Amino acid sequence: MKRFFLMIALAVMCFSLGACGAKKTEVKEEAGFKPKLDTKTACEIKVTGNYNNFEALEAAFDNFNLIYPNVVLSYVKLDDYNNIIGTALESNDAPNIYITYSWMYGKDRYKACLDHAEDLSDEKLGLNIDGIRPGLISRGSSGKVDMLPVFATTQGMLVNDDLFKKEGLKVPQTYPELLNVCRELKEKGYTSPVMCYPGDAKSSNLSAFGLPIFCGTIYQNPEAMGKIIRSDPEAVEYVRPALERLQELIENDYLNLEECRKMTDNYNSVILRFFEGDVPMMICFGDTVSGTRKRESQSEAFAANPFSYSFAPIPADETGAYFYDTTNVQFSVNKNCENLEMTNEFMRFLMSGQELNKLAQIKRLLTVTKDLTFDSVYSPFASIPESRIISEEGIQMKDEVVVRLREALYAVWCEGMSVDEAALKFVSQDAR
Amino acid sequence: MKKSWIVIGNVLIMIAILFFVIVYSNIRGQQEYEYRVDSFEHTTVALERVTENYLEGEQGICDVWTHYINHAGLSLEEAVDFVRHSHVHDNVSAHLVFADTKTGLSTRANPGNPEDFSVSYSRLGLLDQLSWIGEVGTQINLSRAYTNPLNAEQVIAFCNRITVQEPEGPREAVLLRLIPMSEIEQKWIFPQEQFEKTEVSIIDAEGNYIIKGRSFKNFNFFEFYKSYNSGNSAQYQQIFDQVIRKTGHIEMQDSRHQDCIIAHTQIASTGDWVLLAYIPKAELKTSSVDWLLIGFVSAGLLLLFAFDFAYMQMFNRKLKGMAVKAEAANRAKTEFLSTMSHDIRTPMNAIIGLTTLAEKRLDDPETVGQNLRKIRQSSNHLLTLINDILDISKVESGKLTLSPVTFSIVETVENLVNLSQPMVKEKNIDFSFRINRMEKEYLYADQLRLNQIYINILSNAIKYTEPGGKVCVDLREMSSSKDGCIRLSYVVSDTGIGMTPEFMQKMYQPFSRQTDSRVNSIQGTGLGLAITKQMVELMNGTIECQSEVGKGTTFTIALDIPVADRQIEEMKLDPMDVLIVDDDEVLIETAADTLTSLGVRAETASGGMQAVELLRHQEENGKKYRVVIVDWKMPDMNGVETVRRIRSEIAENVPILMISAYDWSDIEDQAKEAGVNGFISKPLFRSKLYSIINEMLGVEKRSVEPEDDYSDIAGLNILIAEDNDVNWEIISAMLGMFGITAQRAKNGRICVDIMREAAENQYALIFMDVQMPEMNGLDATRNIRKLDTWASRIPIIAMTADAFSENVAECLEAGMNGHIAKPVDIKLVIKEIRRIKEEGSRE
Repeated sequence: MKRFFLMIALAVMCFSLGACGAKKTEVKEEAGFKPKLDTKTACEIKVTGNYNNFEALEAAFDNFNLIYPNVVLSYVKLDDYNNIIGTALESNDAPNIYITYSWMYGKDRYKACLDHAEDLSDEKLGLNIDGIRPGLISRGSSGKVDMLPVFATTQGMLVNDDLFKKEGLKVPQTYPELLNVCRELKEKGYTSPVMCYPGDAKSSNLSAFGLPIFCGTIYQNPEAMGKIIRSDPEAVEYVRPALERLQELIENDYLNLEECRKMTDNYNSVILRFFEGDVPMMICFGDTVSGTRKRESQSEAFAANPFSYSFAPIPADETGAYFYDTTNVQFSVNKNCENLEMTNEFMRFLMSGQELNKLAQIKRLLTVTKDLTFDSVYSPFASIPESRIISEEGIQMKDEVVVRLREALYAVWCEGMSVDEAALKFVSQDAR
Repeated sequence: MKKSWIVIGNVLIMIAILFFVIVYSNIRGQQEYEYRVDSFEHTTVALERVTENYLEGEQGICDVWTHYINHAGLSLEEAVDFVRHSHVHDNVSAHLVFADTKTGLSTRANPGNPEDFSVSYSRLGLLDQLSWIGEVGTQINLSRAYTNPLNAEQVIAFCNRITVQEPEGPREAVLLRLIPMSEIEQKWIFPQEQFEKTEVSIIDAEGNYIIKGRSFKNFNFFEFYKSYNSGNSAQYQQIFDQVIRKTGHIEMQDSRHQDCIIAHTQIASTGDWVLLAYIPKAELKTSSVDWLLIGFVSAGLLLLFAFDFAYMQMFNRKLKGMAVKAEAANRAKTEFLSTMSHDIRTPMNAIIGLTTLAEKRLDDPETVGQNLRKIRQSSNHLLTLINDILDISKVESGKLTLSPVTFSIVETVENLVNLSQPMVKEKNIDFSFRINRMEKEYLYADQLRLNQIYINILSNAIKYTEPGGKVCVDLREMSSSKDGCIRLSYVVSDTGIGMTPEFMQKMYQPFSRQTDSRVNSIQGTGLGLAITKQMVELMNGTIECQSEVGKGTTFTIALDIPVADRQIEEMKLDPMDVLIVDDDEVLIETAADTLTSLGVRAETASGGMQAVELLRHQEENGKKYRVVIVDWKMPDMNGVETVRRIRSEIAENVPILMISAYDWSDIEDQAKEAGVNGFISKPLFRSKLYSIINEMLGVEKRSVEPEDDYSDIAGLNILIAEDNDVNWEIISAMLGMFGITAQRAKNGRICVDIMREAAENQYALIFMDVQMPEMNGLDATRNIRKLDTWASRIPIIAMTADAFSENVAECLEAGMNGHIAKPVDIKLVIKEIRRIKEEGSRE
């Protein structure tokens, strides 16, 4: 008994004395990342882009500061980014890292911008890009890697998983299954089993439905893109599947235009409408999905009756869906910037799979790593076989083609144009 | 109380104290934190004043330019030229942009082309709506932070709408005075060092950043708040309303999920802009709990606890020890009572039994006489036992004190020898008492205690020596290391039963008696040695013992005793020859020394024959010994025979003294018949030899009083103050046996009254009891001494049961002349009466 009390007394003392130790601020080492430079290095790194809000990147700054506490990192949004970035890179206050896009390739006005970019494939930099899905890495004509993807995006539909469970249905994997599910939901009284923001030809989310089907068709027909670009009349066959499937949904009133027109924009309104809880499937882009987390608390309906949801690929045909994998944001390093060594160190840190996943998770965009399972919302895409993953590079997709497709789809749904007419319109436009 | 509860109590107290310290520290920390938050808020307000002044200053410059351009009717180019020349700061530039085309001119050239001053705001959206730019001089027209389209630098701009005169007529334009954000950041520093981690932002009413600090995330403060802080719409709105409309602070989590404070205050001159100051909460909570203090308090408490615990343990051990001692003492007390019961009952049994037997055999005087003698023996033993018990109780209670008086060591030794003689004679023990170099007769010490020590040792020696054995006492005066003292060495050797080593280890403990088949019959209290040792130690002396079973024991006591001021005057005899005859070589030697010191020439003979030869030889030479001292017991020829030969053959007239070990009554007649002139007992003190030789030579003649002649005291009248009837009866009867008459005073007051009225010399002395009703003996004595009659000088002898030395001292102090302890020994009483009578006659 005596020993017991003595031990208690000693424990009290040890606890008290132990508590006396000054709190030590230790430099943490992020798992999997070992710093190459002196962690006490003090410098500034500026990242510029056109995002108003880049919280995910700012979170990465905070993580980097756990290792390099004296490095001041800032993100600055430049007005009129695409036009000003070249000037910014030439100025005295040039950024260390700047956002770039694949479409900048081949355009003279962005040549200076790309010329400032460091070759990120240089082994000396030690960047581990093997974890990034290869289709997302853009290379210049010389094979130089001017930019590395930070986020990816794709097209699909937000699915109310709880609703499907409640109705005893499975999320459709193939196009016939989609029709069956829509039919059953229609029978159960859902006005519009599938919803999509129609807006106008520019702002419509319809291409999120048609693009995967269209890309699948292109992917299956390697000659297709050439014919489309050349406006070959035979090219109508490549756009027809996407238009026909849209037409089928419209004709069966599975996609109710009147109901969908109640949504006022292609982002906030779409998310809030989905959070009402009575929408089985909401067609949208991955960018829209990125806004869901923040709006969970803003939606009174969702806050009152939360449900589980996911972002599923659009069933394209009888065999399943295609995953059209595109970059959303890419970073280039200004090879002429101050503190280039630390800038590359930050890129090395950022390109580690773990940090990219964190970034995607915060932004709720599709990660650029090969691991698609870490975010349950995007996990349905992880089940798509590699053979049905299509990259921009793989099919040589052009922005103009996407615009033509979007207009064709809009014409079918909102302008009463027939599939043939819309397909012909798609082909007749000069994409060159 | 159990030890564990004490430990629990201690631990709980420690925890309570630590708890208190932590709570107190937290409260103080919270108060300090609140004070710092207030200070932070006030500093933010102060910064708002500075910011406002700065903004007004910058806007003022813009207003001056505007006024000039408008009033001077300048074209856009002229206006730009004017502004370019008006610039003071290198980092500041200005843009003048047509309101309709959003294009215009800059004061600075395009970085890529020094000749090109054109600038376009068409893709910025900043000037799409101009409603936010108020009338000149009415408000601060500050833009949001935006990218300078000319050089991609982040800037803010102070704006005014102007009218320029172009060839086609007046055109609306906007004047923008551009300040780089880097410039702002350098200037815009929070004004207190203690808040160095503060970052500031300015937001508009929608939460959009006008100027954005690094820790402010998102493009909009409210979005930033929502991103990292949970809440519903109503809660968010409440917070945002507070930020926009009031001065104060909010708490929130930043992008690192750490708590922070955002102080907010409106910038008055801007209308709806709000200055925000951010600081991590931890920066304001520097020391909520002083862990060092807690550590020290903990360590201190633990040390205190350990110390208390150790002390408690030690205390408990002491208590245990004391409990064991108390238990042992209790056991000892029980044993003591048991022993006492036994030791008291044994003589009491004898007294009661023999009294009963005597009562039944009153017709047989011989048996009654025998019984009475045995009763007296038992009574004496009982008295000794009681005295010893009282002494040992005083010793053990530490109340034994010494009462030093001036006394004669000669008397002490005589008394010692006298007391021992009955037993010596009874057991036919060969007893010798040697005195060596005793030059100082009067000493200053507690005579009673010294007697007690010497008697105890001697009586033990006699008691434990079998009949026919030998007891030898050696008293020696030695020099002492203490000033004014002599060292008395008292060695008593016997050929008794001796002691075992085991017994010797505990012989000084009370009630220790050697158990031996030969001594079972020996009566003793077992307290004598214990008392003796305590008394010797009290007198700072030493007592040593050597003993061997069956061979005997030797006790050696050494005491340093002060010499009394009073000594016998210088003793010198006339020069003469003295012959001393004894077979004891030591005695011969010491006696010769003593005689030499008295101024005579001493010759010695070791036996009767040699003495006769020496006397004859002296006679033949015409010389004479003036005194011959002959020992009684000698091997070849005893003393009586030697005296007879001397008287018949040589000297008929020479004075002859016979040395006797003790009582010479047995040989007195025979010796006198043989021609002995006087007797002297051993040991041979210097003073004794001096006086008796002088007496023999006729210098001073003193007759030897026979023991049973009490005529000198017969007829005395004595007053006895005694309240107890039996005691009165005994003492009066005893005195009556010696022809002394006695009168009684029943208490002290009566005694005083009698003495006040008594005729002169009506009473020879007073025997005064001490403890009496109405007035005790001490007070009575004091009152008598105060009388102004002859009675104030009457000898008063205490006769009391208060027998301790301090009682004796008390009596003498009260004015008494002596002390006799009860039960009274009639011999002592007679001796005391004679002493008083002699002193009276001397006076």
